[in-house]
Amino acid sequence: MLGDAYLDTRVSLFAQGLWSDDELTALVHRSPAEVSQALNARGLTELAAGYSIHSSLEARIIARLLQESRILVRPLQGEERQFLLYWIRRFEVSNVKTLIRARLSGECQAELAPKLIDMGPFARLDLTALTQTEDVRSLMRALEAGPYAEIVRHARRAFEDSQDPFILDATLDRAYLEGLVRHARAVEGGPGAALHDLMSRLIDRINLVWLLRYRFNYDLPPPRVYYLLVGAHYQLGADLLRRLVTLPDLAAVLAALPTVYARLLAGADDVFAVTCRLENAAAVHARRVLRSDAPPLARAFAYLLLRERGLRGLRAVLRGHHLGLPEDLIGRALGHLH
Amino acid sequence: MLRTLPMRHVTVYVLASEAADTALVLAAHGQFAPAADGEVPWGGNPAESYRQVWLQATSRLQRILQWCGLEDGGRQQTDSPARPQRSGPSPLEEARVAAAPTLAELEALHAWLGEVWQACSRCHDEHLRLEAEQKRLVELEQTYARLTHLDLDVTRLLRADALLKVRLGQVPSAHLKRLQEALALAGHVLIPFDQAQEMSFALVAGPRPAAAGVDDLLTQAGWRELPVPQELQTHPAAARAHLEQEKTRIEALAGACRQSQAEHAARYGARLQEAAWRLELARPLAEAAALGVHGSRQITVFTGWVPRRAQNALVAALEARLHGRYRVIAREPHADELDRVPSLLAHPRWLRPFTPLVRNYGLPCYGEFDPTLLFAFSYVLLFGAMFGDVGHGAAIFLLAAGLRGRLAWLRTVGMACGAASIAFGFVYGSVFGHEDLLPALWRSPMHDPQQLLTLAMVAGAGFIAATHLLHAYNRLNQGQVAAALFEGAGLAGLVFYASVLDGLHALYLGQGFGPYHAAGACLALGAITVHRARTHRATAVERILVALIETSEAVIRSFANTLSFLRVAAFSLNHVALSFAVFALAGGLGGVGREFTLILGHALIVVLEGGIVAIQCMRLMYYEGFARFYNGGGVEFRPLRLGGRETSLTVGVV
Repeated sequence: MLGDAYLDTRVSLFAQGLWSDDELTALVHRSPAEVSQALNARGLTELAAGYSIHSSLEARIIARLLQESRILVRPLQGEERQFLLYWIRRFEVSNVKTLIRARLSGECQAELAPKLIDMGPFARLDLTALTQTEDVRSLMRALEAGPYAEIVRHARRAFEDSQDPFILDATLDRAYLEGLVRHARAVEGGPGAALHDLMSRLIDRINLVWLLRYRFNYDLPPPRVYYLLVGAHYQLGADLLRRLVTLPDLAAVLAALPTVYARLLAGADDVFAVTCRLENAAAVHARRVLRSDAPPLARAFAYLLLRERGLRGLRAVLRGHHLGLPEDLIGRALGHLH
Repeated sequence: MLRTLPMRHVTVYVLASEAADTALVLAAHGQFAPAADGEVPWGGNPAESYRQVWLQATSRLQRILQWCGLEDGGRQQTDSPARPQRSGPSPLEEARVAAAPTLAELEALHAWLGEVWQACSRCHDEHLRLEAEQKRLVELEQTYARLTHLDLDVTRLLRADALLKVRLGQVPSAHLKRLQEALALAGHVLIPFDQAQEMSFALVAGPRPAAAGVDDLLTQAGWRELPVPQELQTHPAAARAHLEQEKTRIEALAGACRQSQAEHAARYGARLQEAAWRLELARPLAEAAALGVHGSRQITVFTGWVPRRAQNALVAALEARLHGRYRVIAREPHADELDRVPSLLAHPRWLRPFTPLVRNYGLPCYGEFDPTLLFAFSYVLLFGAMFGDVGHGAAIFLLAAGLRGRLAWLRTVGMACGAASIAFGFVYGSVFGHEDLLPALWRSPMHDPQQLLTLAMVAGAGFIAATHLLHAYNRLNQGQVAAALFEGAGLAGLVFYASVLDGLHALYLGQGFGPYHAAGACLALGAITVHRARTHRATAVERILVALIETSEAVIRSFANTLSFLRVAAFSLNHVALSFAVFALAGGLGGVGREFTLILGHALIVVLEGGIVAIQCMRLMYYEGFARFYNGGGVEFRPLRLGGRETSLTVGVV
């Protein structure tokens, strides 16, 4: 009870620091010094330094997300805590992928180290030992003996047979997301429909974008596409996905979607447009959950989704300024996010 | 004893060619903790490639030693680096005069280890392959046994057919349903017929023209074809014979693999030990390179921290090895780097057993008050006060004196608590709960519980007041004058606490809560709130909210912490009550039953109540004490050492 009140208060306080779409768009037209000043004023001092310091911007964004997640996780207990911790661990799964890619490309330890995310107190992998493995096979075996065994085991088998890095990546991502769905399912009964809706929009979006990309960009056959999608119980269920993967083109897929998605995506003519619309709709919904009296876990999750989106928007602005890109190009990059 | 040892920041300039030997000297000296330093003119790290090669070579060596079964061959004990077996000087002496390998030598060693690993890895891979094959053979045997029970002709099932393509194989059970659904999209069926651990055995059938299209899908799902050799597609007896034959073949190959492993151990053993010794000699520079090595092509600079009292010895060690070809610059820590200065504690031998209990909470920051002495004194005193009994105390003393093995470190703490319990036993006049055997030096807790509770409260208030002073002292040491004055746990908090307590005391005496008390409390509270709002970096609303919440939390906490000390009196009363209960139970029985109940009851009191009191004392120290003044976020002093950097928390008083 006390923990819920604390979490609610914390989320409300954190929510004041979120960047609205208009604020981000306004930053595009400001000078780098003004952007830096605005970031400082909002307490984002580590990002205000932009590209002038050694540590990568991505690393600083993730460090900030981890720092805030740590505060939000603190009052949670049991399966709710496990859910949020699992959500945070996707950064560590990306470390797993970075390690595997480095081993495949023969990168040395010195090149690899800066690319790995420092998970701080959330770290469960012994990165030092993993970076010292001889080859990808020994790395995978070491990973299988660690906390991500469940995720890595099947990916290793698939990779050993195919030697295809795409399969490795896709299998790892799918295994992680199916784990997330399992964790969410355990708490969706508690925090009510709000968390279910957030998860639904997240997983449905990923499934639909992957389906379109694999089917029409990579031209994979329907059975393979279906196999690569995340097994979930949300709006795009197994039966519907099986039907969608057999359809001949993007328009047919969009027309066969449930009404809520069909209306949202009407007229979208490529995968990029579909992605943008789904992401924007998910953000609008997350903001609604954040403003509502939804259970604290759902609000915390909505906040984390929005915070990450906002910080990535800031990164787009900072990177655009750093590379000297024209304002309209930075605006378009933001448009993808907002 | 009450603070961390004073440190000096040391910069050592040496010729680049002597960097590895210098690191060896620093490691043999054992009091130099490398640390990065932004003031050194060269930003590059000339030892980074040395470190990379060393890391890879060490990792490779460990794998080889593990494969050859020589894991212990390289190292006898932690502080004694691996070295070839030879008579003569000690490892430490030998390392002082030995030459550390140069980068070229290290690369050559790494290359040689690569060759050895190549030789070993062929056998290693073969070993893994055979293990997998053995496992599969066992599964195949089970599967074949089940296949024979199916009402299916396997030979006909697998016969090449123009229309139908049938495969037998295994797939992770977790993927079964999804694969089944995906295959259905390609007009195929999947029928599982067996399961072994996490794998399911299944039959996949579909139209031959579409069969090629599902190959990628099956690969992706981790499908493994189940080879059903021609021999197995014959008479069951012949199939059985084939399986036996396979088993013999795999065992023969595994035997050859083991022999090869032993040969590798024999062939490379001595050189591997030599390699382990060379890598130990290279370890200091490799480890220092991670933090405190800078330089150019000609000069290498080591930066780090040395206890002030060990500085001269360090210079003498460098002189003995480098004969003037070095330069040492030492300085006091700057104010802005105090949070990075490592903490090293100097405790007398008798105090060291208490160090792990304090360390369990945290390590003092550099310059922070070291609470070990306070902890030891207060903990033992509280234990005695809560568990005062000459007989039970003596039992604890004797039990603790007998602790050996893993619990040996608790011996001194236990004996001290036992002694305190005995001392308070005399104060309370209690021996195994009997209050009529000894005259009490003061009185039994049960004779005046109210006075005991009052005393506990007063002691608690004194303790809390002391924590305020310690908090202010720590903040002043860190140069944070405002924090020392205005934080809730600092002097302003003490003024508030003292004003309210004194006011309440006056109220109790019927004199009323005076205006001075109210003014002192309000002023202090205002100062705390304003200070918190000023120092918290956030939006205005969050600042105000945080300041209000944290101020009220600090106020509530001070009084809650004080009330917590009531447990000191409560447990001393509890001890008497428990003893009464044991006597009452035993009194109801006669003869052996009475004796048995008395012995069991006292044993329970010593073990259970003793354990609970020990935990309660710890809780009082941590939550009512440390949490109020002790940061505990210090940086460990981790000097370069032969045999690897180890945490050095305490040193003996010289």
